[in-house]
Amino acid sequence: MTTARALLPRLAPLLACLGLFAIWQVASMTLNTESFPTAIEAVRAVPSILGDKESVINILDSLRRMAIAFSAALVVAIPLGLMMGRSRLVASFFNPLLMITYPVPKAALMPIIMLWLGVGDLAKMLVIFLGVSLPVIYHSFQGAKAVEEKMLWSGAAMGLSAPQRMVRIVLPAALPEILTGCRTGLVLALITMVTSEMIARQSGAGNILFNSLDMGQYDTVYAMIIIIGAMGIGLDAAFEKLRSRLVRWSEPGFDIPLSFA
Amino acid sequence: MVGPVTHGKTPGSKAGMKVVPSRPEVRTDPAPVRGPASAMIEIERVSQTFRTAGRQAHLALSDISLTIEDGAFVSILGPSGCGKSTLLYIVGGFVSPTEGEARVKGRTITGPGPDRGPVFQEFALFPWKTVLGNVMYGPRQQGVKSAEADAQSRRLIEMVGLKGFENFYPKELSGGMKQRVALARTLAYHPAVLLMDEPFGALDAHTRTRLQNDLLNIWERDRKTVLFVTHSVDEAVFLSDKVVVMTRAPGRIKEIVDIALPRPRRRAELLLDPRYQKYVVEIERMIDDTSEEGLHP
Repeated sequence: MTTARALLPRLAPLLACLGLFAIWQVASMTLNTESFPTAIEAVRAVPSILGDKESVINILDSLRRMAIAFSAALVVAIPLGLMMGRSRLVASFFNPLLMITYPVPKAALMPIIMLWLGVGDLAKMLVIFLGVSLPVIYHSFQGAKAVEEKMLWSGAAMGLSAPQRMVRIVLPAALPEILTGCRTGLVLALITMVTSEMIARQSGAGNILFNSLDMGQYDTVYAMIIIIGAMGIGLDAAFEKLRSRLVRWSEPGFDIPLSFA
Repeated sequence: MVGPVTHGKTPGSKAGMKVVPSRPEVRTDPAPVRGPASAMIEIERVSQTFRTAGRQAHLALSDISLTIEDGAFVSILGPSGCGKSTLLYIVGGFVSPTEGEARVKGRTITGPGPDRGPVFQEFALFPWKTVLGNVMYGPRQQGVKSAEADAQSRRLIEMVGLKGFENFYPKELSGGMKQRVALARTLAYHPAVLLMDEPFGALDAHTRTRLQNDLLNIWERDRKTVLFVTHSVDEAVFLSDKVVVMTRAPGRIKEIVDIALPRPRRRAELLLDPRYQKYVVEIERMIDDTSEEGLHP
């Protein structure tokens, strides 16, 4: 009995997916239009995509661009956010710029960027870079701002210089918040990755999706949606694993203090 | 006059004289003769003005002059908002005074340094480090070899009563335990002066008493100079050689009371000692006076 109760939370995500598929199946059977294949048809099309060398190369191409742009964004956004969080001057300089760029849908910039950089990798990576940067900057900024002054003073008394305090106190202290930003950034990277390929068709997962949409191959379209969704779940789960390992010290599960003076 | 070679601290060394840097970890011979007590901290005509949110100038400290001798335990006592913590931050080098200056061992304080170790009410531990990691942080920063810092830190952790908790994270500890770690972390880099900013203010009465006792025991071993900020009269009298009573804002020194109670002090004996009771009553009366001043400026 206890094993069943322990098993249930683990099975819950799977049950949720099955439920979604069931609703999809019923809905498509009721609507019965060509452009809305049933879940079973879509799932059946998945292996044929993954078995096709061309398609796999396309998907890997997307992932490569995403990985490069995501990493570049972290390298720029984390230090910038941390500096904004600790220096009023830096914050007041960059804040208006961010406020302007924040509401602009990054994919909408794609046509303009394509004019500068062409339809190749660079333009797509720049769009992903922009999409990822903003939440990471924002969360790094919030994390750095919340660092306790007394913690920095303690470090200064030990002889840490200002740059050392930035790297060895502000960075680790803000890490839980930074990683929250990175997690949002990762999902946004996937979204901008697909939309950038919708506008600049050349290669990639989005390319397969929108080309098959144009050609009316609806089972492939939905199969690609399933594949992209699965990539999202996979990346998020992997990142979550890494995150919880890095900030084990701040996890709420730890929150029961031992009591003794 | 050629006298015997004096070890350790040279009393009365003025700035400009040859100062032999005494390594804190090097112990002098047992029972070193303390010559005429030398000044460890000198605060000279310090005033501090803050700008409030309404852009008004708020005078927090007004014309404070105070000398703290080497090896003395001095408490700064006053009502909240009297600037007593600000004074400690000035000595720590975390805040620079609007007027006047503070010196440590004759040198003007321009910033924080490992000769002055703070212990804050908020603990300010590094939450991503274990107890051991926190205590080792200072020595490692000072270039002490890893193995040596490890051994020293474990001894300190044992001294503050946390043996067995070396690999715990701050989150897993109670407030009292956190403050023990904070004390060990500061003692680990051998500051000449301990700056304690209401260190037991956030703890319950029982824990507070235990930590006061333990602090005295630790302090009586090596008699570092301590500057201790508190608003508890009992605490100040129990711990200190001198109690500096401050007035309500703007903070001024109202009176300095020498606490001539014998050491080592034991709480149980002290509480029954009429001299102790007299000090407490006397100082409480001074503080009541300052509150009156606050009401009728």
